[in-house]
Amino acid sequence: MSGLMPKRVKFRKQQRGKLKGCATRGNYVAFGDYGLQTLEPHWLSARQIEAGRIAAQHFLRRQGKIYIRVFPDKPISKKPLETRMGKGKADVDYWAARIKPGTMLFEVAGVPEDLAKQALARIAYKMPVRCRFVGRRLAV
Amino acid sequence: MAKEVPVLKAVPRDRIGSRYAKRLRTAGRLPAVVYGHGSVPMSVSLCQHETLLHLKKGEKVFTIDIEGQATETCLVKDLQFGFLGDNVIHVDLTRVNLDEFVNARIHLDFAGSPEGAKKTGTIVVHMTSEIVIRCKVRDMPDSIRVDVSTMGDVLTVGQIKLPAGIEAVTPGNTMLVQLQTIAEVAVAEAATGTGATAPEVLTAKKDDEAGKDAKAPAGDKKK
Repeated sequence: MSGLMPKRVKFRKQQRGKLKGCATRGNYVAFGDYGLQTLEPHWLSARQIEAGRIAAQHFLRRQGKIYIRVFPDKPISKKPLETRMGKGKADVDYWAARIKPGTMLFEVAGVPEDLAKQALARIAYKMPVRCRFVGRRLAV
Repeated sequence: MAKEVPVLKAVPRDRIGSRYAKRLRTAGRLPAVVYGHGSVPMSVSLCQHETLLHLKKGEKVFTIDIEGQATETCLVKDLQFGFLGDNVIHVDLTRVNLDEFVNARIHLDFAGSPEGAKKTGTIVVHMTSEIVIRCKVRDMPDSIRVDVSTMGDVLTVGQIKLPAGIEAVTPGNTMLVQLQTIAEVAVAEAATGTGATAPEVLTAKKDDEAGKDAKAPAGDKKK
């Protein structure tokens, strides 16, 4: 297991929980100029986040700055194949970020809109959920 | 502020609450509340299309013509957003005088391209695109134009020229724009690829304790 994960946790394993409702926090462009917003709830694995980052970074090269707004802090356990049920909870298979509709996944700064749109579209291809491109919202 | 304060026609809301507000939104109205200056808060509804057009232009001061009541000059105090965080669902308006001093958050329009940004691997990062200013309502701009073509590596609030009659409330050392050098992609990938294979568990039992625990249930069974 490698990639994004917490440095330390209080407990090794977690219960599954529910993904109800929409995001009330982290649902607007905060750091960059444009963002990729999810429209569906999902467990986004560390590998998927990393795949998105690489896709965008290879496209943007050294032009823009990419912000990752989600972090995989939920351990997901999985029993090995051909294993009988029982014998306790399985080992952690991967780490995931809980995302709700409205969560901002990635943000891009320092590039024009058309380039940001293309970069975020490449990330969207790697995501297991429907996403949309958004800009900064009205400020008061 | 625009040369003329835009006038928005408002209709008082007899029934308040989320159900009635939802019905108003489907009918093309935008729920709002007018308060301040010691008067009674009043729930009103505005034309959604017209209000959003003005808000997108950056206008913050409006003359609210309330049906069957007095006309009020109001400043947009707060906006509430819908479930995806971008559609305006409610507006807070506070009563103001045009000669009153108020604090307001103003958008910055960055113009030009810094000299330093022409180097390969250097990008312009806008740390924030708005600042809080204090000025008379009459002097309030829709946005402030900032020329970044002559900036060095960093542009702070203290370095920008504000129009007459406007002072910045945001601290002068707050960074607005920064030139950042992006490291090679390969380096970034290598940095994220390495690291621990599993996180440290704070409540994990030590080997000795774990051994004792393992023995205890076995003893119980014998009894």
